[in-house]
Amino acid sequence: MTIQDTLRSADPTLDALEARVLGEIAEMLRDVIGEEYVVDMEITMDTSFNEDLELESIEFVTLADRMRVTYGDQVDFVGFLAEMDVDRVINMRVGEVVHFIADSLRAGAKGA
Amino acid sequence: MAEVVANGVRLHVQRLMPSGGPRPDAPVVVMLHGMVIDNLASFYFSLGNALADAGCEVICYDLRGHGKSERTPSGYGIATAMADLSALLDELGVDRPVHLVGNSYGATLGLTYGADFPERVASLTLIEPPFRIEGLGEEMARSLTQVLAAISDEEVEEWLTYSAGRAVGRIMRSAQSLLRDTTIAEDMLATAPFSPDRLRALPVPVLAIYGGNSEIMEQGDGLARLVPDCTLVVLERHTHMVLREAVDYLRVLLRWWLLHRDEQMPQYTHRGGQTFELADWVLSRSVPSDLNAERRASSASGDAEGPGDASPEVPVAAGATSAASAASSGVSGEQ
Repeated sequence: MTIQDTLRSADPTLDALEARVLGEIAEMLRDVIGEEYVVDMEITMDTSFNEDLELESIEFVTLADRMRVTYGDQVDFVGFLAEMDVDRVINMRVGEVVHFIADSLRAGAKGA
Repeated sequence: MAEVVANGVRLHVQRLMPSGGPRPDAPVVVMLHGMVIDNLASFYFSLGNALADAGCEVICYDLRGHGKSERTPSGYGIATAMADLSALLDELGVDRPVHLVGNSYGATLGLTYGADFPERVASLTLIEPPFRIEGLGEEMARSLTQVLAAISDEEVEEWLTYSAGRAVGRIMRSAQSLLRDTTIAEDMLATAPFSPDRLRALPVPVLAIYGGNSEIMEQGDGLARLVPDCTLVVLERHTHMVLREAVDYLRVLLRWWLLHRDEQMPQYTHRGGQTFELADWVLSRSVPSDLNAERRASSASGDAEGPGDASPEVPVAAGATSAASAASSGVSGEQ
């Protein structure tokens, strides 16, 4: 599945920025997990890191690292994760991360 | 940078900074996780981001053989771990004394590093350190053998294959191969006991944290008696897994210890429990007799089955700090 496929299947209520971020995170997740079961899985805003993706905690660390490199200082992942318990992190849905990143990017663009 | 070659081994490192970067005088905090069923994720999610957000520069790394660091066939003794840490600090260009925070065997590593290289250490936070003057290595190795026995059990194999789920399965398989394919158990057996004289001369402030219900809680008294500057905190109702159980308070406590030690120590208030990705029996090394009963029953009655069907009887819920504690119980040698 390509980013374009992901975009076509994405929630139509998403704006362009959110749809783009969702596509990028879906690709990162497929790469981090690197197993067959995730190749054809549709990753949406409702996809759970724990129940749907069965992500191991160290893989979430790798994902956060990729996101930090991709989105840079505009997105404060340290602050985002600082007050969360690990079970809260792993039980998040992809959409929570997408919204956080999109909001941060929008705020950064305004501030620039 | 996520990978650093130090002391000839490739180490996975996560360096966490406050938004806008750390101040030049910010405490540098290095996290040392527990052995075998653990990796840097336990500290990353419990204290790492929280302390970075509070203004510290935080370094989490996977110990040799653990997490995403290189798994060498040998080199798991404490002297090599000390050399790995020194080389890592050199490679990262850390030239200030660091605050070491260790959990379980990671705390044992921290205490040893503080005694060996006091000039490189600003403070030690030891969470549930197995601490003995004699027989520490034997105790840890015996405990490791128990872990291997527990995760090699036939019932456990069946559970891993059909019920455990991917995340838990990966953690357990990794621990199995670390114990089977490397010299970690025999290397830990060779751990030398702590020298009372060296600990009496330890010039580094120590914060030691134990759970009131931990089997090794009484070892904290011996530590506090020997180390000149030791603040001993015992958290009632908590166990060896205090890092995952009392993370909210530990975040507050560590912020005080690292940033506001001139103020009064924050009071502990107990909060509710949490769920984690490893089942309690993994942590306590006692395989329940009915581990696969539910799956077999549903299988016999023709319900869906197969790899990945998580049995509701087995709590494989979320979370990851679990890892910290597991190894921990693996090496603390309670019995």
